[in-house]
Amino acid sequence: MNSTNIFLIARQTRKQILQQKAVWVLMFLLAAIIGYAGITGLLQYKKAEATRIGYQQIVRKNWENNPDKHPHRMAHYGSIAFRPKSALSVFDYGLESYTGNAVFLEAHKQNTTNFSEASLSSTMLRFGEMSIAMVLQLLLPLFIFFIGFNCISQDRENGTLKILISQGLHPLHLLAGRILGIATVAALVLIPAFLFTMALQLFVASNSAVWLQLIMAFLIYTAGVLLYSGIAVLVSAWSNTSKLSLVLLMGIWLLMMIVLPRGTQTLANTIYQTPSKIAFENGIDEDIIKEGDSHNPDDQHYKGLKDSVLKANHAESVEQLDFNYSGFQMAEAEKMSAQIYDRHLQRLIQIYKKQNRLQVYAAFINPYLGIKQLSMAFSQTDFNTYTHFQQQTEGYRYALAQAMNELQIKLIPNKKLAATDKNYSIDKKYWAGFHDFQYKAPSFQSILQQELLAISSLVFWVLLVGALILFTSKKINVI
Amino acid sequence: MPNRLLIKQFLRSGIAIAGISLFLLTGIISLFIGKSYLVKQREKIETTAAYQQQHIERNVQYGHSEMGLLLYYLRFAYVNSINPLNGLSIGQRDVNLGIQQVTIRNLIEKKYDSDLNNPASLVMGNLDFSFVLIYLFPLLIITFTYNLLSEEKEEGTWRLINIQSNAAKKVLLQKWWIRFAFVTGTLLLLYLLAIPILSIPINASYLAMIAEGVLYILFWFIACAMVVGWQKNSATNAVSLLSIWLLLTIVAPAVINSLITTKYPVPEAMATVVANREGYHDKWDRPKEETMGRFYAHYPQFQQYRLPAEDFNWLWYYAMQQMGDDDAAEHSVAMRNKLLLREKLSNTVGYFIPTLHTQLQYSLLAQSGLKNQVQFLDSTTAFHEKKRLYFYPKIFEKLPVLQEDWRKHYAVEYFKSEPPVNWIKLLLPLLLIIILFTTAILYNLKT
Repeated sequence: MNSTNIFLIARQTRKQILQQKAVWVLMFLLAAIIGYAGITGLLQYKKAEATRIGYQQIVRKNWENNPDKHPHRMAHYGSIAFRPKSALSVFDYGLESYTGNAVFLEAHKQNTTNFSEASLSSTMLRFGEMSIAMVLQLLLPLFIFFIGFNCISQDRENGTLKILISQGLHPLHLLAGRILGIATVAALVLIPAFLFTMALQLFVASNSAVWLQLIMAFLIYTAGVLLYSGIAVLVSAWSNTSKLSLVLLMGIWLLMMIVLPRGTQTLANTIYQTPSKIAFENGIDEDIIKEGDSHNPDDQHYKGLKDSVLKANHAESVEQLDFNYSGFQMAEAEKMSAQIYDRHLQRLIQIYKKQNRLQVYAAFINPYLGIKQLSMAFSQTDFNTYTHFQQQTEGYRYALAQAMNELQIKLIPNKKLAATDKNYSIDKKYWAGFHDFQYKAPSFQSILQQELLAISSLVFWVLLVGALILFTSKKINVI
Repeated sequence: MPNRLLIKQFLRSGIAIAGISLFLLTGIISLFIGKSYLVKQREKIETTAAYQQQHIERNVQYGHSEMGLLLYYLRFAYVNSINPLNGLSIGQRDVNLGIQQVTIRNLIEKKYDSDLNNPASLVMGNLDFSFVLIYLFPLLIITFTYNLLSEEKEEGTWRLINIQSNAAKKVLLQKWWIRFAFVTGTLLLLYLLAIPILSIPINASYLAMIAEGVLYILFWFIACAMVVGWQKNSATNAVSLLSIWLLLTIVAPAVINSLITTKYPVPEAMATVVANREGYHDKWDRPKEETMGRFYAHYPQFQQYRLPAEDFNWLWYYAMQQMGDDDAAEHSVAMRNKLLLREKLSNTVGYFIPTLHTQLQYSLLAQSGLKNQVQFLDSTTAFHEKKRLYFYPKIFEKLPVLQEDWRKHYAVEYFKSEPPVNWIKLLLPLLLIIILFTTAILYNLKT
């Protein structure tokens, strides 16, 4: 009996909402924007991926086609890694427009990942981008507020609330029914949006993990829909007039979606200050000078290294060694500088992570931030995915440099050549022996682990709204 | 005098004082955010300047015996100078690298380096003054005007007064004026406060910003007046106005942006990196005469320097480096032109969309937009070329390192551009839209 009441109210609410022509117009508009966003997302994905794969193949072919040469030349020739777009970027662009697309990987040097879409765009980009996720994060809540603002207040205004309650309807059932009714109307947008996203995935080179990620995203947005419906019902129940309820909900929406996110960002950047690029690079240079600079002929670390190697091999000079000393020294230098770089980079990434963490903490105040973060994470367009990519490119760069040093150590003679002699070289067959760059996306489990806090913020909000509904049902003012 | 009465009435509604104080506060916060941004940028430049001297001194001290080897290492900083107006409109400056560090080697490999930044922060956007003006001020205007007419009707005061009557029109117009005056006053106060907070010089660019800001506010007041003139109830007005706001600040810019990105993709970026790398590296495997031939063709003035018999020579090395730039030049120029196409199309579309127009004009005046970035990159190329031409002969002639007076290279050089304000492009689009809307309102009142 009890639950049937809820469903009765839900059905009546849904009917009432769908009777309004304006609601259908808005739903049609949302669907149109979602369709547009999905199609452009897919087109951009297709174009970007075709370009990327094309160039990645050229880069590999060029690498293998290099003629016989000194391996150190190949270490400097290096490689170029292009960032693949996430399959679910057709759903949520996330940070992809702000992250670099190509990085030149060479020995001794960590280059920046360049050509983010943002660096190629006018300030128009800063208004935000139109993706399906953006519609579901920003516009769908507003739609929910619009269809739900008067769901209780109007009943109060025209006296039906008093009648309903006096007929024995439990206020809790009324509120729950209203939430369900509003949410099911919102589902008419949400469910097709996800079906559409799934259809788009058929045109995208995705793996099976994508479906699991999509299910998670769907659950997150479903929780979001219930949450926003709950907020609409709460505000409507506590407002004396529908007009007040509408104005309040619009204010809440503006605060949550427009003002607070930028405010939180500013706060995070103020609390956790990051070094400038120049200071960052300077710090690395100083550590290298302190710990061992292979380019400085008087460097103590490398002098000591040379002496100990000579001693261990009972040699008077490096020319007597049965391996290439300068290759050996470069391998050591590469190792040291990569470690120093990594130390500084990790420190920097920790600061970024703290900044981003604050956004997740703020999700306990503003659920929009939690939903945004989770949607990006499960679409693999978030900060962690990008860091993951950068770690892999640096790993590949290091492996490439060391593989070439290894070849030099083994195959290049120690004897110094006369200035007019042609430099040593090795057979080109070795080049194909070094593997191509293969990006591996983070696993579903690792995303889940990383996002536990954001998930709990969403759970917290669902519980909070639930508790407030319960509280409201006891205190509701019927007239 | 009814005017004074109406002012009192406006101020007595709590929302007026609260709204204005809130906006003053938010505006001032945004100015201080701009200030802290400027301070950080200036610190970066100071660090760069200090580092440059240290870096040159250290490398010269290492005793690199050859000019060619020393200049392999030496980096020269080139700075995109910071306009104080940048504090009002950060634009794309937080995305792009404003300090280039170039060697005289291959430029294209370094030219497009990105800054260190947190993409998650960038995507949220800055709470700078342009945000407060473009996004938030319209909301204040909507709050002040959405029930200008309907309130009187809903509270019954106006039931008997016909809106067509001249007396009623006059009162309405006065109410509208009062709100416009207070909001514009608030905005002007912020512009005034910005002068000491950000140390803004009062020049044409700043006056242009103020004029554009006031026109933008006027646009919203007119738009609100138009909706209010439809004589619907308060709730409908609020929803209609919020929808217009949503369309202008979120939906339209995002849709247009994706249109532009799809219309002008930039695969030239990838082509540039690949061509640049091949252009330099494959010269190691090619006959030296071929490389030198191309180098002499590019710089006939260096034909007197010929290659000696030795396997490695700095002349050959820098000629190879030069080829990296020469081979990628075509793609790099194509990319530059693509960016300018994007910029141009954005501006053209912006003429029809006040939010977009204001944003783009602000970033143009503050030199924080795409155009400034393209100009800075162009200028970086010129700076690099200047350094090259200065050092090339010294390297080729194998001048001793210590013969050069290195102190004169300690100072950092700057790119500065202060384009003249194009008042017509700046103000005409908004003026036309305002005139169009006003005509619509007047027409609506007559019929």
